[in-house]
Amino acid sequence: DALLPRPQNISILSTNMKHFLTWSPVIVQGETVRYSVEFQGEYEREYANESWIPICECSLITATVCNITEDISATVAYNLRVRADIGARRSEWGSLKGFFNRITTSLTPPLMKVIADGYHLLVELEDMGPAFQFRVLYWKKGQASRIQQKVVTEVSSVVHLDTMEAGPDYCVKAQTYVEAINRSSSFSQPQCVRAQGGRSVWLV
Amino acid sequence: SVTEIRSGFTAIKANIQARDPIRTLSILSHPHSLHKVQSSDRCCITHHLFNFYVDKVFKHCKTEDSYVNRKISSIANSFLSVKKKLRQCHEQNKCMCGQESTEKFKQILANYKELNVTSAAMKSLGELDILLDWMEKSA
Repeated sequence: DALLPRPQNISILSTNMKHFLTWSPVIVQGETVRYSVEFQGEYEREYANESWIPICECSLITATVCNITEDISATVAYNLRVRADIGARRSEWGSLKGFFNRITTSLTPPLMKVIADGYHLLVELEDMGPAFQFRVLYWKKGQASRIQQKVVTEVSSVVHLDTMEAGPDYCVKAQTYVEAINRSSSFSQPQCVRAQGGRSVWLV
Repeated sequence: SVTEIRSGFTAIKANIQARDPIRTLSILSHPHSLHKVQSSDRCCITHHLFNFYVDKVFKHCKTEDSYVNRKISSIANSFLSVKKKLRQCHEQNKCMCGQESTEKFKQILANYKELNVTSAAMKSLGELDILLDWMEKSA
């Protein structure tokens, strides 16, 4: 039996602290190829004889993607590798080129919805998981010099920002902050609303 | 971060503590608890303990359970990340060791050597919440 070729084009897709390992499929006519993934943290390299740890959710899978978020849970450099199997035939390990450190994850601005509930300025933020905090800036349109800020550490429901005066527009924008990697996203596009009695009015 | 270490440990705490049959000895709390450590010595004790766990404990905690091993890896790599930060403090003389912390850490090592290495490592891992509680209370 010819040795199976090792998986190629192994790479990481990491957005908002969700990390996925992907690779190109190994093509063998008429056969179902299965893949297994292992990881190695800096601890394993330096203190545990360079041992590798299998990810059981990604053992003998047919998909060419593996969610490694649960295992990449420290801000250190990780190695990752994949191999292919067809029955008793097995490939060599294909390894990710270079290390992966979650500090490189790409952070996107949070989804948010600004609500004028009567004279109350509210914002609804996307729940992005326990690692995320939010920095919300709000100001009266035309008075950008008097921006106010609220830091939201736990997304529960709607956040009350301010009590508005009737008439002027109020604008809001937000960014995420991830303490574990000490990084922030860029700001979302501002959304503006205006209070008019009890009715909500949208002005974008 | 400590939060991530805490959640990783909580996920395997019962499993790990069940592997420690020795109830008459504590690695971290015998004879005195960490809470008796003066604030001036806290950084040094924390630095010593993170080195202790990374250098001595985690490598002897391999189990037959793949899930537990993955969580131990998460905790160990988080410890390594924090350990490197604490080393910077130590190098910048912001983490000085007083007499008390030196004595306290000697006692912890003595407790550790009372047991065979695997039992001592598993007991130390099982006592991680004692360390985390103390760190959070004294933060």
